[in-house]
Amino acid sequence: MFTNILALKNRISALTKLFSARKTQKVTSNLLTALMLALLLATAGFAAEPSKSMPQASVAALSAAPALQAQATAQSQTAAVAVPTPAASSPAAASGLPTRIKPNRAITISMFLTIIGITLCVVIWAARQTKSASDFYTAGGGITGLQNGWAIAGDYMSAASFLGMSGLISLYGIDGFMYAVGPMFSFIAILLVIAEPCRNAGKYTLGDILSFRTSPKPVRAVAALSTVTVSLFYLIAQMVGAGKLMQVLLDIPYRVSVIGVGILMVGYVVFGGMKATTWVQIIKAGLLMSGTVLLAFLVLLKSGFNPVAFFTDIVGNQLVQDHVRINVLKDALPKQGFDYGQRFMEPGLFLKNPLDQISLGIAWALGAAGLPHILMRFFTVPSAKEARKSIVIALFINSTFFFLINIIGFGAALYLSPQLISSVDKGGNMATLLLAQLLGGGAGSLGGDMFLAFICAVAFATILAVVSGLVLAASAAIAHDVYVNIIMDGKADQHTQVKVARITSLFVGLAAIAMGLAAEKENVVALVALAFAVAASGNFPAVMLSLFWKRFNTAGVISALLVGTISALGLVVISPVMTYPQKIADDSKKMIVTLEKKQAEGVVLADKDLKLLDKSRKDFEKNNGGTSMVGLKAAIFPLKNPGIVSVPLGLIAAVMGTLLFRNRRAEEMFDEIEVRQITGLGISSASDH
Amino acid sequence: MGARTYNWSEIAQNPKYLELKRKKRVFLFGWWIAASVYYFSLPLLSGYFPAMFRIKLIGVINFGYLFILSQFLVAIFIAMYYTKVANSDFDRLTDELVREIR
Repeated sequence: MFTNILALKNRISALTKLFSARKTQKVTSNLLTALMLALLLATAGFAAEPSKSMPQASVAALSAAPALQAQATAQSQTAAVAVPTPAASSPAAASGLPTRIKPNRAITISMFLTIIGITLCVVIWAARQTKSASDFYTAGGGITGLQNGWAIAGDYMSAASFLGMSGLISLYGIDGFMYAVGPMFSFIAILLVIAEPCRNAGKYTLGDILSFRTSPKPVRAVAALSTVTVSLFYLIAQMVGAGKLMQVLLDIPYRVSVIGVGILMVGYVVFGGMKATTWVQIIKAGLLMSGTVLLAFLVLLKSGFNPVAFFTDIVGNQLVQDHVRINVLKDALPKQGFDYGQRFMEPGLFLKNPLDQISLGIAWALGAAGLPHILMRFFTVPSAKEARKSIVIALFINSTFFFLINIIGFGAALYLSPQLISSVDKGGNMATLLLAQLLGGGAGSLGGDMFLAFICAVAFATILAVVSGLVLAASAAIAHDVYVNIIMDGKADQHTQVKVARITSLFVGLAAIAMGLAAEKENVVALVALAFAVAASGNFPAVMLSLFWKRFNTAGVISALLVGTISALGLVVISPVMTYPQKIADDSKKMIVTLEKKQAEGVVLADKDLKLLDKSRKDFEKNNGGTSMVGLKAAIFPLKNPGIVSVPLGLIAAVMGTLLFRNRRAEEMFDEIEVRQITGLGISSASDH
Repeated sequence: MGARTYNWSEIAQNPKYLELKRKKRVFLFGWWIAASVYYFSLPLLSGYFPAMFRIKLIGVINFGYLFILSQFLVAIFIAMYYTKVANSDFDRLTDELVREIR
């Protein structure tokens, strides 16, 4: 009787809390919309008169611009590998192409400060409402489907997609667009088989779903290990990317920006928990979409809203044709009758190995559905219906985003020229930013400065939102799975749980900062490949089989996670995404031979070539005889992504483990998880409808 | 909150539940497989039959570009269709079942 009254009381207070939270959220969202509109209008006004003063030069000057490979590949692991070969092979640089982009520091930094200010207000507001463990991990389940949809999009779209993918399109044409299909398609598996069942069967973490009908302690331990591994890999790649981006854009030292981003992300998570993280992600998604829509709109405006004419212009553009011929296909003399412009619209300039593409496709299709920080977002909504709504909204936003990126990328190729883009950054990562500058009114104009600053600020907000989600997921695994459920046997009061969660977030954040600083000079490309591959090969089969296979048990979960993780890890460290010093040495040797041959023929080398010769000699000295991290001279596994091998391995391990160690209890409990998963029964808020 | 125990195996035998389960399974896995086939046909066709991608359809815009674009449309179509079916069919069945059990 007494407990009943208590339950009722709890429910009423939860409801009133929910209601008042909604009200505040509405006010904040109105404020936000107004602010974003003001920003949009300001930038649009300045962008009204596009400049035509483009530096014209057909020389392919690929100088040693700071390559933002980490950034380019935070999502697209192959981007850095196919970067065009540097300078020496191209004619001497005699052009006026800029080699870097210079945003207006004052305007950009004030926009950064505005974003920091707004997000800090959100944190203060959220911190007051974060009292229980459920508040901290899932915002009390009080996020609506619409809000969660924007937050998922904000959690998922990274700076790499925003900057890297449009760059890829501007340099390699249609291959870059094809690349964007993967991250867009990821949401189909989540929509159909992950989101609603996970909402119904889970509580805070991956460990909750997996330990439902298995031995909780070992399963939670392995699930926590996997979550922390995946999240940290992803996190380090983002931190290194952020540091390098700020360094290039604003001359902020690498260390300062990594520490700065780190402090902000720790602040959001420690004080505001899931509520603050969610709102940071919503704000970011709003900003990112405004920037993307505006850029794409201006490109379309410039092309007269005629897609056919737009693409005809690209195909007929002399600079694009020269770029495809000289830099990509490396034909010194044009082949008779070959349409180099049309080639830009045909596949194979960037993505060369179909098997690699399929392997990458598997990682996209299944990996995103196994990412702990994405899974966690479904626990923030009150019902499966809202979970469905949120993923549908996220899918819309995501598809629109990647579609618009295609317009921006092709627009950059046409209006900036691939030569200009690659002279600023070899991987094309500055394409979006350069285009914003141009469409805003050109370098040095107020409009150009404003629009560029706005787009820089969008990239900054993007990084903050993604890293916060990752820190939250990793610390939830440690605090909820390891501390509360393994060490304390689930016996910890709300106050302790929140305290532990906050302390853990602080340490996860500090660890991420330390690792980000240590990894400055490392090749972080492999880390993202790894995060997706581990999620696809370990987490995804484990989650799916837990939900849909009766016999699946403890041994199955553990073998899926271990074999999936280890095989993905093992294949990545012997794959071509790692750095192989011997290969660098061999390339330098080739360069030295070419240049020395020129000298022997009596050609006086330009200053630039002399410098290159010197650098190549040094690189050769340094790298000759060197081996990769695991002592290899060259890659053994031929593919950049291990998915095609590691996913089947993870699945086979799951099945074998299950069948070798049959467990009656796990099979008997299947009815419960299945009924819960399908109907949502047993979840207080879900059965309230 | 809502601390109530259910007889899970009894619910698992409920005809309404079995109908819901079957319908959901056929729909969700069916569409997931269909969507995956369409998605993986992109790397397969572009990798092994690139000539097909070169066919110009609208001016310089070729089959390849339109095929990539169609991937976006297919994803959006599935999302909308699923929402419709779930809202009208699955949610109704679930509500009926939950009411019956209570």
